[in-house]
Amino acid sequence: MWLADIMDEEPERAKRWEGGYERTWEVLKEDESGSLKATVEEILFQSKRKRVIESHGQVRLGMMRHLHVVVDCSRSMEDQDLKPNRLTSSLKLIETFVEEYFDQNPISQLGIITTKNKRAEKLTDLAGNAKKHIVALKKAVGTVCVGEPSLYNSLNLAIQTLKHMPGHTSREILIILSSLTTCDPANISELIKTLKSLKVRVSIIGLSAEVRVCTVLTRETGGSYHVILDESHFKELLMLHVKPPPASSSSECSLIRMGFPQHTIASLTDQDAKPSFSMSHLDSSSGAVLSLGGYFCPQCHAKYTELPVECKVCGLTLVSAPHLARSFHHLFPLQGFTESPAQELHADRCCQACQGELKDTSIFTCPSCRCVFCLECDLFIHDSLHCCPCCIHNQTNS
Amino acid sequence: MMASEEEINLLVIVVDVNPVWWGQQAQRETELSLSKCLDAVMVLGNSHLAMGRTNKLAVIASHCEDSHFLYPGKSWRAGDSGGDDAYSSGDGKYELLSVVNNLIAEEIRKVMSKTEVRGNSTDTLLAGTLAKALCYVNRVSKEFEAGQEIKSRILVIKAAEDCPRQYMNFMNVIFAAQKQNILIDACVLDSDSGLLQQACDITGGLYLKIPQKVALAQYLLWVFLPDSDQRSQLVLPPPAHVDYRAACFCHRNLIEIGYVCSVCLSIFCNFSPICTTCETAFKIQLPHMVKPKKKKLKQPS
Repeated sequence: MWLADIMDEEPERAKRWEGGYERTWEVLKEDESGSLKATVEEILFQSKRKRVIESHGQVRLGMMRHLHVVVDCSRSMEDQDLKPNRLTSSLKLIETFVEEYFDQNPISQLGIITTKNKRAEKLTDLAGNAKKHIVALKKAVGTVCVGEPSLYNSLNLAIQTLKHMPGHTSREILIILSSLTTCDPANISELIKTLKSLKVRVSIIGLSAEVRVCTVLTRETGGSYHVILDESHFKELLMLHVKPPPASSSSECSLIRMGFPQHTIASLTDQDAKPSFSMSHLDSSSGAVLSLGGYFCPQCHAKYTELPVECKVCGLTLVSAPHLARSFHHLFPLQGFTESPAQELHADRCCQACQGELKDTSIFTCPSCRCVFCLECDLFIHDSLHCCPCCIHNQTNS
Repeated sequence: MMASEEEINLLVIVVDVNPVWWGQQAQRETELSLSKCLDAVMVLGNSHLAMGRTNKLAVIASHCEDSHFLYPGKSWRAGDSGGDDAYSSGDGKYELLSVVNNLIAEEIRKVMSKTEVRGNSTDTLLAGTLAKALCYVNRVSKEFEAGQEIKSRILVIKAAEDCPRQYMNFMNVIFAAQKQNILIDACVLDSDSGLLQQACDITGGLYLKIPQKVALAQYLLWVFLPDSDQRSQLVLPPPAHVDYRAACFCHRNLIEIGYVCSVCLSIFCNFSPICTTCETAFKIQLPHMVKPKKKKLKQPS
């Protein structure tokens, strides 16, 4: 009886298999000579455009993120529907994700947890450095996939570290789940309530099929749940999580004390050059090397070779100004360009950014400076550059 | 085909042709004038093209009003193939080199004579020019087939001073270049530029402030002609010390320890309860108020 109640509460959504497939073969249309070239180009064009469409607008974003990635290492990961097997493919994609994540969110942290055999263990601790995670991921390719995953245990393990994080950061968990079952020692609804009270956002990427408990978990905590179609879709879904999510209204805002150390480069010919160890390498057995230059913490003068890092001696977060500058384009996002058919352009058919000929069927106009760009430049500007080349010219002139 | 396995080196030269600075330069001393600077650029361009059959070149002039491509011109315009005959110099020089030189000379004449300096701003639009250069490099890389490797670098010849208003756009351009593995080299004629120092440090390029302006061509050929593979085998000028300290938003002083707003990432030197940029009120952990105990005064006896 309680099952029927739950079914009534669920929002009305037509599942794809319920709503009926559209006749997908009708998309392909042949032209007079019988070639499909025009349709194929159109499909490629649309898929390129899809990436640029969404934009958040003036929403407060959670810039300092603490994200835990949970990787399912159960028996179902040995399935070979992703080449060579699900585990190797997922770990490789997560490596790319880790690099992109630290590129777009330089002052955030990431930790990795694996789950198998009804238990969960930490692969790497929450850290702000990409290298440690990538090394650990490369080593993990050889793990034996056995047993069943445990959602409860992995969420519990993640909460242990996330609950101590300060209130102004965003707490997130991303789960890659391939198995259709989970083995939990206690009732997961209690855990869902705890997650909500701690303001942790859980998102799940499923590799097999939709699982009910995942739908409930993500809906209650405000995350997203997707199931992959193939490897490129998997990559797209992972990359969706690189951008900072909108901050929840209850997250606090505070001033964080940070240090901006100077990079000192010394050479052997300097009189005062003293070689020293870097504090970040003291824990690891390899890599403890004497070096001359580095970054010195302004508070306690401990040395580090790379930024950003949290000083082990005095606890001050050390960053450099470009790290903060990397996140500025999230705060001032570039507006989308308006698309229009190329035939309407009567003036010179030249893209004003790359000086190339406008060969595509559509051209893109920037709403503020009304300059015209080609498709490649539009993609490049929105993906990497984050500023319109012609608007920059007008800004500094005014 | 063998040609498809060769690596393509693309060099984009960005020349600062700020007329205000070059005009003042002409009044101060006549050692280095704009035409001599462009001669040096042409020498570098010709040498780069001569280093390899597949090398490519682009030259962009950065003005206060706009940026213009000096080379290559819009070659897909109809009627250009007839113009090539007019460019051959008749002294047996490799035809591409004379085409390059003549195009650059013609375009810079057009740019300097037709562009007027309007408005109050006389700073060079370097960030915008670099953005256009990156779009150009992006287009050229996509035009080749998948097997061909293309390595690109941008050389900036800077004359006038930095414009601090361009900071954010400049940083966006630098990060985009780093992601695309494009080196940014800088050859500075007059005053040191903090922005270019950061650009060279982040992308892995070379920064050099020229001690003697009249020897510009020599420095260009010695330091900036070899590409990134060959640089490891040469003894080049040591990297400049880059100041990565941040400037606080309230006083614009360089600080070593500061407070960062978690919402808008503005940097302050002192703690304040409200962020002046995004106007968020911060939650302050106040210590518990201790009520002062009433002390009985001793009555003087």
